[in-house]
Amino acid sequence: MNMGVTIAGLTVTYGDLPAVKDVSLRLEDGTITGLVGESGSGKSTLALSLLGHGNIASGSVFIDGVGDMSKMDKGALRAVRGAKIGYVFQAAQNSLNPLLTVGKQLLDLAKSHGVRDVRGAHPLLRRMGLDPDRVLNSYQHELSGGMRQRVGIMFALVLNAHVLVLDEPTTALDMITQANILQIVREVHADRGLTTLIVTHDVGVVAEVASRVAVMYGGRIVECGSTKEVLANPRHPYTRGLINAIPRLTGPVDVAKPLPGTPPTLGTIPAVGCVFRARCPIRMDVCSAQEPEMIDDVACHAVGVTAK
Amino acid sequence: MIEGRGITKAFKQVQALRGVDFVIPRGGAVSFIGESGCGKTTLGRILAGLESHDEGRLLRDGEPIKDFRPIQLIHQDPYSALNPTRTIAQILRDPLRLRGHPFSKAEELLSLVGLDPSYVLSRYPHQLSGGMRQRVVIARALTVDPEVLVADEAVSMIDVSLRLGILALLRNLRETLGVSVLFITHDVATARYVGAEGELYVIYRGTVVERGPVDTVLAGPVHPYTQCLLSAIPVLHGLEVPGPDRLVPDEPLDERVEPSGCLFEPRCPFATPACAQEQPLLSRLGDTPQDHACLFPARRHVVAVPAR
Ligand SMILES: Nc1ncnc2c1ncn2[C@@H]1O[C@H](COP(=O)(O)OP(=O)(O)O)[C@@H](O)[C@H]1O
Ligand SMILES: Nc1ncnc2c1ncn2[C@@H]1O[C@H](COP(=O)(O)OP(=O)(O)O)[C@@H](O)[C@H]1O
Ligand SMILES: [Mg+2]
Ligand SMILES: [Mg+2]
Repeated sequence: MNMGVTIAGLTVTYGDLPAVKDVSLRLEDGTITGLVGESGSGKSTLALSLLGHGNIASGSVFIDGVGDMSKMDKGALRAVRGAKIGYVFQAAQNSLNPLLTVGKQLLDLAKSHGVRDVRGAHPLLRRMGLDPDRVLNSYQHELSGGMRQRVGIMFALVLNAHVLVLDEPTTALDMITQANILQIVREVHADRGLTTLIVTHDVGVVAEVASRVAVMYGGRIVECGSTKEVLANPRHPYTRGLINAIPRLTGPVDVAKPLPGTPPTLGTIPAVGCVFRARCPIRMDVCSAQEPEMIDDVACHAVGVTAK
Repeated sequence: MIEGRGITKAFKQVQALRGVDFVIPRGGAVSFIGESGCGKTTLGRILAGLESHDEGRLLRDGEPIKDFRPIQLIHQDPYSALNPTRTIAQILRDPLRLRGHPFSKAEELLSLVGLDPSYVLSRYPHQLSGGMRQRVVIARALTVDPEVLVADEAVSMIDVSLRLGILALLRNLRETLGVSVLFITHDVATARYVGAEGELYVIYRGTVVERGPVDTVLAGPVHPYTQCLLSAIPVLHGLEVPGPDRLVPDEPLDERVEPSGCLFEPRCPFATPACAQEQPLLSRLGDTPQDHACLFPARRHVVAVPAR
């Protein structure tokens, strides 16, 4: 099944403030794309647009073989969510109903989609290293953080979705559990031939699983490309700063440097000019006057100059 | 100098700490790393006087610690640590008055933690970024002239671009005020940034399994648990290549199993029958440069190394 996703000129607003502005991004069929950025940069808002969630002010989210999520009515969205697009929400480890067993919640999900047979949950759970009978008979509090996250992935895929969105799937987990979840994501993605979007603030997570990466800042995608390329050769000054700020395990300690300033919030994102300029070490006059266009996968006036 | 000797603590079903020894020199830094559930938070809370312990002793310069006020806990969540209904000025006023400090000290402390007093004093916590809030929490801890800051995952909720700034602040406070730091983290690389000359303690199921200078342990871990932990750290493919000996534990952690020998034996890729017989004690068996608790210590290269 061919199910890539094309996001074009997408703007999503809260009130009249854009949390995502004029974003275009293609998720190639069968790839894992990482969406990385700091808190408030608009990652979750962008990811939710794949479910056709409200607030889309302009632009489109086209899923191959399904249609434009931004134009669908409620009934059509309900049918597509879960069945075509599996979504693991941020903090999913706390989003199970504490009063119902996992198995009961699975039956409820199936019923709401008019599906009778959910035996597909068993091989999925087993594939992720869990004992299906034990998990389905458990309540949320009886499962560890890593187990809950795997249950979340099972819920996202049990109706045979082909597009999988994972929002911060490892954020509350320790390193060993995180490595285990990332391994599962890689395997399930490959087994099922999914198109996967993984949202994270952690460049390391993207580096481990995603073949492509998009870097978000202040509601814009400022750079995208193959993960290895972007890590080895970041072109946008924000991408460079973000990578430089990662504490490193080896080498001199002072190679890593904090990025000066703080990330903007919805109210402080400048309406004109480049959203990164306040923290940018190479800003020029044009940066306060004009928003840089995405040219050759990077949106920066300084990079545009040298490329031309 | 702050010292813990043979600290044990049991909760109903779990033995959270099984006899932990540690020494924090004045102005020094000591880091604890380990999977979640290994007892790190419990140890930090015991040292801060917020939790009782069953056996063992806590000493300040050789004398039992009676006054825990100079040991201040900074925990993970700067969002819940500050009263949302009070301004930063109000938050700092009471603890300063209690210590008999004039209110002007608030400005001094805020500047010390890298905040502009004229900006933050009149604001409420929700008007500040996570990084700024954590600095306020640190400033509040400093109002009581602390000897030790217990930083429990203190940067894990802070934006990546700001983490190094908070870590540098902790290092600075050690150097300028002689404050000691007990640094608890699951993000090993950050431990180097509060003090690479400090000691790293690797804790597993309530026991210290490896201990030595941070860079010694990172460069040549000898305990398979440490090796699994370090192997799980994401590799920045493109910038780094994985260590050649990267390891994964055989099994997930199961706290319900109480092994009779080495606690890590059921998960250890190198376990031998001898390992199931006796519980190894922390030593330098095999002439290693660091202390470890393994019958068959072997140096392995598991940490990623820079590409090229
Ligand atoms: N429901 C909402 N109402 C108003 N503002 C929101 C809402 N959800 C998110 N925001 C704001 O939109 C911006 C982007 O948020 P989000 O997409 O959650 O970012 P991220 O996932 O990168 O942390 C933030 O400034 C956030 O405060
Ligand atoms: N108040 C408590 N009551 C019962 N069990 C607890 C309590 N606090 C911690 N534990 C248990 O003690 C063990 C160690 O927990 P903790 O110190 O929080 O570990 P870490 O900080 O390394 O994740 C865990 O098994 C945890 O479930
Ligand atoms: Mg988010
Ligand atoms: Mg903890």
